[in-house]
Amino acid sequence: MEQIIQVTILGIGLGGVFALMGSGLSLVFGVMRIVNLAHPSLIIAGAFTAYWGFRLWGIDPLVMLPVATVLLAAIGVLLYKVFFERNAKSATYSEMTVLLTFAIAMIIEGALGAMFSNTQRVTSPSYATDAFFIGNVFIPKGQLYAGLVSMLIIGLLAAFLKYSRLGYAIRATTQNRDAAALLGVNVNMVGLMSFAIGIGLAGAAGALTSFVFSFFPAKHWEWIAVLMSLVVMGGMGSIVGTVIASFGLSIIAAFVGAYVGSTWSTMTFFLALFLVLLFRPQGLFGEKPELL
Amino acid sequence: MTEFLKVEGITAGYGDGPAILDGAHMTVQQGKVHCIIGPNGAGKSTLLKVIAGMLPARKGEVIFKGENLKGLRPDQTLRRGIAFVPQERALFPKMTVRENLRMGGYILNDDVERDRRIDEIFDRFPILRERADQHAGTMSGGQQQTLAMARTLILRPEIVMFDEPSLGLAPKIVREMFAIVRMIAEQGVTVLLVEQNAVMGLKHADWGVVLDLGRTLFEGSAQEVLHDPRIQELYLGGRKVA
Repeated sequence: MEQIIQVTILGIGLGGVFALMGSGLSLVFGVMRIVNLAHPSLIIAGAFTAYWGFRLWGIDPLVMLPVATVLLAAIGVLLYKVFFERNAKSATYSEMTVLLTFAIAMIIEGALGAMFSNTQRVTSPSYATDAFFIGNVFIPKGQLYAGLVSMLIIGLLAAFLKYSRLGYAIRATTQNRDAAALLGVNVNMVGLMSFAIGIGLAGAAGALTSFVFSFFPAKHWEWIAVLMSLVVMGGMGSIVGTVIASFGLSIIAAFVGAYVGSTWSTMTFFLALFLVLLFRPQGLFGEKPELL
Repeated sequence: MTEFLKVEGITAGYGDGPAILDGAHMTVQQGKVHCIIGPNGAGKSTLLKVIAGMLPARKGEVIFKGENLKGLRPDQTLRRGIAFVPQERALFPKMTVRENLRMGGYILNDDVERDRRIDEIFDRFPILRERADQHAGTMSGGQQQTLAMARTLILRPEIVMFDEPSLGLAPKIVREMFAIVRMIAEQGVTVLLVEQNAVMGLKHADWGVVLDLGRTLFEGSAQEVLHDPRIQELYLGGRKVA
């Protein structure tokens, strides 16, 4: 029994971080129909931001989180202006973004590798290796903090989308781009803002990831498949779906890791992706998913 | 006196494609209901899109209260008082009725005033108040159309344009939609509507405009147009329609 609780807790901790990684990806797809294969490489860039803040000046990664968010959001603005804006009217936009973001991912990986080398890194604030104990069950502090902060950020994102003026515009654009434009929404600005927010979330996820997983520039290849499985399962473009899929699959993966063997744990995500695409390609949560 | 809305010699088409409209014009009288009819492909919807600023005219001009609307985007024509409901209702299906109405007032900078106007809409369309917190996409076709039409009123436009408000609705509901159109006109709002069902449309309109092959064939009071023999010819043959 204790072991089951233990494994579930570890799964939840992991799920929180994946949920934040996936929600940025979902937002960008939902609004812009951009399949952003560069998302995990931008997460790594966010992780490096937190890493160097800690390494050079001893700044806690949780304090570096807003810095990484803003920095990555700014990079998002730049990427959008240079690569995505002018092509937005192309009929094959979504397909094209797959190739485009694949190239961006490789460029970012190369740049990070050239600057910081390909060695494994991990930010090591004291809590990263500490844990709370409840009886014999331990809760790693690093994962707990990362999971809680992830949930807080996703909560803020949801409230922003639900109640703010820009949030209304983002949801409206996702559901019916032409109608939103007719009502006076500057859909291009909405595209830019949601792209920046999505990439900013990658930065935030990176800062949290930096003390939960060890990372190196090429690590993003491992994550892209995992994140894609979460986003597809959640129903492309649905943040709520992505969050549910993240927790569900992470918990299952934790059990697979504990009872079948840790090498099989990642298989959970691929198998899930495979099954979803085979039997329910629209995702678990219906035909026309929505951001919230 | 300057004309209220002048639509003159409009030529327009999509991309590099052929001209859908080829010199169309229409007379618009303030506060009246205008029904644009014509066979498929006559350019009815295209004409509304040009007026709304969704599609640039290659030739011709749209002049609203003395201002040439050339080159304006849809949000800019909207700010000048011209609202457009395209076909397929243009709602946000996963937003609630209230959220849809709020989107209708998106360009208002005053949330209090916006919500006050939404309350007025609820007074005029009680069914929408009843459904305020329901997702728009889960309502019946007639209710969705009511919402789409009511939503334009938030901005208190001078002109509203409806592209086939009766599309896909049962006859009884269609009559309700036309009652709403009349009600809007009685508030002094000028209505331009495109209608596939010519007889139905003209019966509820003051002015009829007949388009064919991108040109204005003729226009006149709805009664005249309704009884004009050329209508029979246009709709029932006499000329082969591809």
